[in-house]
Order: sequence, then C-alpha cells, then structure tokens
Amino acid sequence: MSQSNGNHDLFENLRLELRRGCLSLAVLSQLKTERYGYTLRKALADQGLDIDEGTLYPLLRRLESQGLLTSVWREEEKRNKRFYRLSPEGKSMLKQLGEEWQRINSSLKEIL
Amino acid sequence: MELLDRYLQAVEFWLPKRQRQDIIAELSEDLRSQIEEKETELGRKLNDAEVEEILNRCGAPMTVASRYRPQQFLIGPTLFPIYRFVLGVLLIGCIVPRFLLWLGFLLLDPADRGYLHMDNLGTTVLYFAFFTTLVFAIMERSGVKLEINTWNPRKLPPVRDPNRIPRSAPLAEIAIAIIFNVWFVTALWPRPSLDLGGVRIALAPLWQLFFWSFLLVAAANIVLASVNLYRAYWTSRRATFRLILDTLGGGLFCWLLKAQVVLGISSPNMSEAKAVAVTALVNTWIARTLPWAVVVTVVIICFDVYRILRLRGVCRHGSSTAPAAKSFSKPMVNGN
Repeated sequence: MSQSNGNHDLFENLRLELRRGCLSLAVLSQLKTERYGYTLRKALADQGLDIDEGTLYPLLRRLESQGLLTSVWREEEKRNKRFYRLSPEGKSMLKQLGEEWQRINSSLKEIL
Repeated sequence: MELLDRYLQAVEFWLPKRQRQDIIAELSEDLRSQIEEKETELGRKLNDAEVEEILNRCGAPMTVASRYRPQQFLIGPTLFPIYRFVLGVLLIGCIVPRFLLWLGFLLLDPADRGYLHMDNLGTTVLYFAFFTTLVFAIMERSGVKLEINTWNPRKLPPVRDPNRIPRSAPLAEIAIAIIFNVWFVTALWPRPSLDLGGVRIALAPLWQLFFWSFLLVAAANIVLASVNLYRAYWTSRRATFRLILDTLGGGLFCWLLKAQVVLGISSPNMSEAKAVAVTALVNTWIARTLPWAVVVTVVIICFDVYRILRLRGVCRHGSSTAPAAKSFSKPMVNGN
C-alpha cells in the first residue's frame, strides 16, 4: 500500500517536472494573439492542457519579467482584465523553443 | 461572493506587498469569471458549497501566494554543500574531542569532576551552528561568487587511496624515532637518578622496565617504518603490527604517568621543603596528564582498528564489486 503511494507520489513529481518546461512553451504559443488569463487557461484546456490559476498567473508574471510578454490592463465587459501578448523577444524565444521541442520530440519518439 | 472575498483577503496577506493589488485583481477576475461561467451553465446563482469547490481547486491561500514569490533560501544550492561540509567538520571537531576528554576524566579522574567539561557543550554547538549559518547566509546575500566553474581537470587532487602510505610518513617516523632514541638513551639511561641540567631527578626502580620497554617499542617502530618505506601499501599483517605497537606504546606511556616514578627532585639551589613541593607538583601534573594520554591512545587505537577493518573489507569485496568502481584505486596487495 505504502509502496503504491510512494510510486504514485513519484509519478506525480516526475509528471510535474515533465510538464513544467512544456507549460512555458504552451503559454508562449497561445499568446501570439492577445488574451487575458482566464481565456488563456480555457484555450489551453480546450486543447487538452489543463493549467490551474495558481500555476498560470505566476508563470505569466515570470515570463513578463523576463521580457518575453507584455501586458496591459483594460476594461472589458465592465471588468478590468489584464491582457498579455508576446513581445518581440518572446516571438524569437518561441521560435527557438519550438525548434528545440521538435528536436526533443523526434528524439524521444525514436527512443521510446 | 463573501466566500470569494474572504479567500482573496487570505491570499493577499501572504503576497509580496508591492504586487498585492495587481495579483489580487487578476486572480479575482479569474475566479469571478469561473463563477459566472458556472452560473450561466446552471442558470442560477452558485451556493456556498459550489463556490467552495472552485476555491478548493484553486488551492490553499498560502500555497497560491507562495507561487508568486521568487524561490527563497537562506543558503542557496551552490553554497549549501560547502556549508554542510564546514558545519559538519566544525561540529565534529567541537563535540568529539570534548566528549573523549570528558569520558577520559570521568573514567580516570572523577575527582576532577569531568562533567564540568560537558556542561556548556550544547551552547557551544549552538554558537558554532549559528555563526557558521550566519556567515554563509551573508555570503549568499552578498552574492559571493565561488570559482567553482573555472576548474581545471589537471588541478584536481590525485586519486586518494587510503591504503597507500605516503613516502614522507615513514621517512618522518624514522627521523623522529632516531632523534628521540638518541636523546632517550643518552639522557634517560636507567640509573637511580638522572641529572638534567643541574637538576637531579631520583627515579623509582620501575623506571628500568619502562626504559627498556620504550626502547624496544621504538626500535620495532623503526623496523615497521622502514618496511613501510619500501612497501607503500598497508597490508592486514602490517596494520595489525602497527596496532600492537601503538597499543604497547600508549599503554606503557599511560602506565608511566600513573606509576609516579619521580621519587624526588633536587637541586643545589633549592631548599629541601621546596624540593618536596616541586616533586609533589610534578607528580600531580603527570597524573593529570593521564586522562589526556588515555584519550589520545584510544583515538590512535581506534584509527588502527579502523585501518585493519578497512583492509579486511577491501579484501572481502575486492573480487565481487564491479571492476569499474575499483579501477581508480591501487590493486589490492595481499602479501607483505
């Protein structure tokens, strides 16, 4: 029982580790067009990548502080929302990361 | 919406001050959007249980807030291994010798109230731990850069083989033993009294036994050191010989300290009463040295025993462990 729990915990840790790097790429890819947090989360979920708000918003802030995103507060439907989009650096980074992802993906396909 | 406001307030409490408003506005917007969407789907207002479910999914306030903070640590991953090593060395260096001395005094000289040497050990350990941590935390905060990335494989220390005897060790042993023996024989040759620079020391007859025993042990040490000079790897047999010699030497020295062989000290310039007092004082200090000598002997014997165990362990595992794991060490030497 405890070994099964241990395996589950280990799987969870490894899964999170695996996801962590992919999420930045996924978020950058979705911000080619301007979105605010909630619609971004929905867009990712619609494509099978669920991401909770506690993970997404800190990630958006980090990407913005790294200069890959720009954001602006704007009123929409009578509520203030923060809209994000890729910065020029973000576009270039997305291209590089996308290529790296393709390389890793094709290698893993061969390996697995 | 009261539940939501309470939740946001709880998250806000743990957020970095400068970003609080911004983060809460964004998080609030997201949660309100979720609630609105669910309400549209159900065609009614959400009850508290349903709002609670959304908030639970979002996470505990402190956990949510902590994700907005940069990774924080007192001592970072670069400095931490060095910190742990330094702390370990300091604590072992602080605890072990004091414990051994305390034990030595307790066993051999309880009248000297050996426990007094341990009463502030806890405070000393805390001081060591506190100041070491403080120094490393300051180094971390001040961004001290260690030159760990500019290393050169050629500058790495040579592979250490614990069973190898460095050439300098037997050479030093032989030199020291010869100097000591020359002095020992010329100055302390067994006779009823010794004359050291005008001071006459009367010795008990037992001194003869000590003299010849010490001389024998010293000669055996020179033989062992000479063999070690030409056969640079410890073997089980030589390590056992070393243990026997150290036990004999240490045991003899401790016995000498306990035996009170100094019967009297006199000098032409010293009154009889003063000579008696000096003799008593010398004997007292010799006796007080005993616990220290026992501790040092025990430490040396422990080290010798460890060496033998290590050698036997190597012998036992030598053929069964993976060759690659042992490939950098000297092949085992079975003979003498």
